[in-house]
Amino acid sequence: MTLQHYLVISALLFTLGIFAVLTRRNAISILMGIELILNSCNLNFAAFSRFATPLENIDGQIISIFGIVLAAAEAAVFLAIILAIYREFGSIRPNEIDTLKG
Amino acid sequence: MTVPLISIILLCPLAAFAIFGLLSLAKRRIPRQDYISTGAMLIALICSLLLLQQVAPKPEIHTAEWISVGKVNFSMGFYLDSVTVIMLIVVTLVSSLVHIFSMGYMSGDARYSRFFAYLSLFSFSMLFLVVSDNLLGIYIGWELVGLCSYLLIGFWFEKDSAANACKKAFLTTRVGDIGMFIGMMMLFYRFGTLGLHGDSGIFELAPKLPPGEMAWLSVAGVLIFCGAVGKSAQVPLHTWLPDAMEGPTPVSALIHAATMVAAGVYLTARMFPILTETSSLVIAYIGGITAIVAATIAIVRFDIKRVLAYSTVSQLGYMMLGIGAGSYVAGLFHLTTHAFFKALLFLGSGSVIHAFHAMHGHHDDEDAHHDSVHELDKHGTHEHVGDNLVHEHGSEIPPDQDMRNMGGLRHKMPITFATMLIATLSISGVPFLFSGFWSKDAILGGVLDRAMAWNSAHYYILFGLALLAAGITAFYMFRLIFMTFFGAPRNQQMHEMAHESPKVMTIPLIVLAILSFPVVNVLWFNADYVIVPPQSHISQPAHAHLDSEATPENASKRTDIASALFWGSEARAAEGEGDDSTHAAEEHHSPAHRIAMVLSICVAGLGILLSWLFYHKHRFAAESVTNRFRPLYNLFWHKYYFDEFYDGVLVALTVWKARLFAQFDLSVVDGIVNGVGLVTREFLAAFAGAFDNRVVDGIVNRVAQVTWAVGGRIRRIQTGEIQTYLLVVLAGIVVLVLLFRAL
Repeated sequence: MTLQHYLVISALLFTLGIFAVLTRRNAISILMGIELILNSCNLNFAAFSRFATPLENIDGQIISIFGIVLAAAEAAVFLAIILAIYREFGSIRPNEIDTLKG
Repeated sequence: MTVPLISIILLCPLAAFAIFGLLSLAKRRIPRQDYISTGAMLIALICSLLLLQQVAPKPEIHTAEWISVGKVNFSMGFYLDSVTVIMLIVVTLVSSLVHIFSMGYMSGDARYSRFFAYLSLFSFSMLFLVVSDNLLGIYIGWELVGLCSYLLIGFWFEKDSAANACKKAFLTTRVGDIGMFIGMMMLFYRFGTLGLHGDSGIFELAPKLPPGEMAWLSVAGVLIFCGAVGKSAQVPLHTWLPDAMEGPTPVSALIHAATMVAAGVYLTARMFPILTETSSLVIAYIGGITAIVAATIAIVRFDIKRVLAYSTVSQLGYMMLGIGAGSYVAGLFHLTTHAFFKALLFLGSGSVIHAFHAMHGHHDDEDAHHDSVHELDKHGTHEHVGDNLVHEHGSEIPPDQDMRNMGGLRHKMPITFATMLIATLSISGVPFLFSGFWSKDAILGGVLDRAMAWNSAHYYILFGLALLAAGITAFYMFRLIFMTFFGAPRNQQMHEMAHESPKVMTIPLIVLAILSFPVVNVLWFNADYVIVPPQSHISQPAHAHLDSEATPENASKRTDIASALFWGSEARAAEGEGDDSTHAAEEHHSPAHRIAMVLSICVAGLGILLSWLFYHKHRFAAESVTNRFRPLYNLFWHKYYFDEFYDGVLVALTVWKARLFAQFDLSVVDGIVNGVGLVTREFLAAFAGAFDNRVVDGIVNRVAQVTWAVGGRIRRIQTGEIQTYLLVVLAGIVVLVLLFRAL
């Protein structure tokens, strides 16, 4: 297992996340896409920390722990926003919520 | 100790004026401005007398930087030597006495307080001028006294003649002042300073000029003298001074006899070290011509104040002549003696005029409007005394100033008569007992001295003129005395009303009469510097055949030594006998002074004798002489046609020029303006309107339309769908990444 394997996995996760965010018609699915993106980042931090720095340096891995915590908090905020949006518009499909349309 | 004293001298009158000014601004009336002003002047007088004891033989200079711009510095300061102190004493003394006199003369005037405030302002300005150590300070004081003169001549501005006279005085002196200013600028340009004394002062630098620039220095000297010509009423700018007699008589005494007009003489004397031979000669000629011209005009005047005014002009010419002839000290000496006796003459004439006023006061004693009647009489409408109106150039002589209405007043007004007689004896040069004799003789001796030393025809001519003027002075002054105080009353009605003035007016007269005896000379004997006048380094001996010691420096020095010795035994005592060279000088130069003295006594006696025969004994009728010399009489009567010349040539030329320009304005300038207006309205405006409507509006509308249309399209980008935006952001990032990779 080398750095490249991790980076490839991370890139796959990121691309999947982007794809989900751009194409899903449900806000919850978009949230899941965002989680994928965040986790690909965390994987990168951990991988670079393991392979690209001295072994005793674990800063990157600690950062990835922070990232997971942040992702949890972000999910909570996001779900609250979605709830509010549902109350306002009666829908959580992003393509239907286009009040700012020019 | 000297600086606080000078400060007090300057600040007292200024404070007196400031009190009046501030209270006037606060709309509060000050009850006793006369006491404040007079008190301030008396304090200043006491300080001046104290200063006399402090003055050191060496001139003191206290100076401070005032304005500093780049490399140019203007300083302000005091210059204190014997001359300054003597001038301070003369100014404060005469001013104090005039203040006291005015309390009587001006009582009941509607603007009584203002009068004293103006007198205070004037005194401050004059004192400032005297103590200044640099030309800028002198110029400031110079203009301030000019302003006060303007305000006080026009004090009774309800009278047209007074309003005109003050404007005339202001404008005429301004002509000279412009010359003075140019002269100052010339000096400033060359020397980079307006300071006179000290190492970098003009007096130090001027003698170091290369000989080629002497002509330039002469021009600067003459230009500065122009200021003195205006202020001291020298020919040809003398015409304002007689008209200035429209002001109240105490003003005539203070400003137009004793102090302000003497400022020109003071300035010229102060600038003595930079006067070249040429500029000295110009000054001497102007002075000599003024002396004779004014004296001859004075003979034929009937207005008592005009006689005195022309007499003042003539005496100022004398002083200028003295300075021009190198007798710097003699000129200043005559200035001081003249200040006292001429102030006395004016105040005496004021006393006479007041006597005639008061008669109306008596008349209307029961009248409730006593003051207003008094007022009216003083200022103008004299219809009820109009039997003897005389027209002089359209301006009538007020009957209370017309000597033809007077006569025999000596019994009615004994004090006024006695004091005026003393002043007249003094100005006429009656020998030995009176101060005027000594100072006039010093000038005559100085002129003759230079004439003999340089063997110069110019100065012989000037000596002749001065001698003639001295005789004429004696003649017309005694004419005034005889017509006013002797003989039978000419106007019985007025005579009966006349009476002696109150004490507040006669006491100043008595003090000034005492000062007309040679007591003032003591001031000059005490002064060490009399022995050492400023050295005129610049004057070059004009004539090669002079003996070695008769250089101008020595000549002027010896002149003054001789004059000083001549004035009395005190001088000899003060000077100390030890100095052999002084005695040699005295022996060498006594002849000139002795000749001058004998001649001046002769002409004065002749003048008095003729006057006595004409106007007292009536041995000859003045009219027959007048008729025989009709053209000459007309010349004198019309004051050498100076006013006619100015009216006929300068004023007419100005008016003609103004008319020409007005015509030009009306036809050409207005035509162009109207034409332009027409073209603009009919053609340009229409074109511009069309352009505005079509082109400008079109562009604006089109821009708006385009914006509208483009906006309508572009707004489609904003889908409002969050995922679209994200897609765009992603595409952007991809593009950026690719771009950076390519780089």
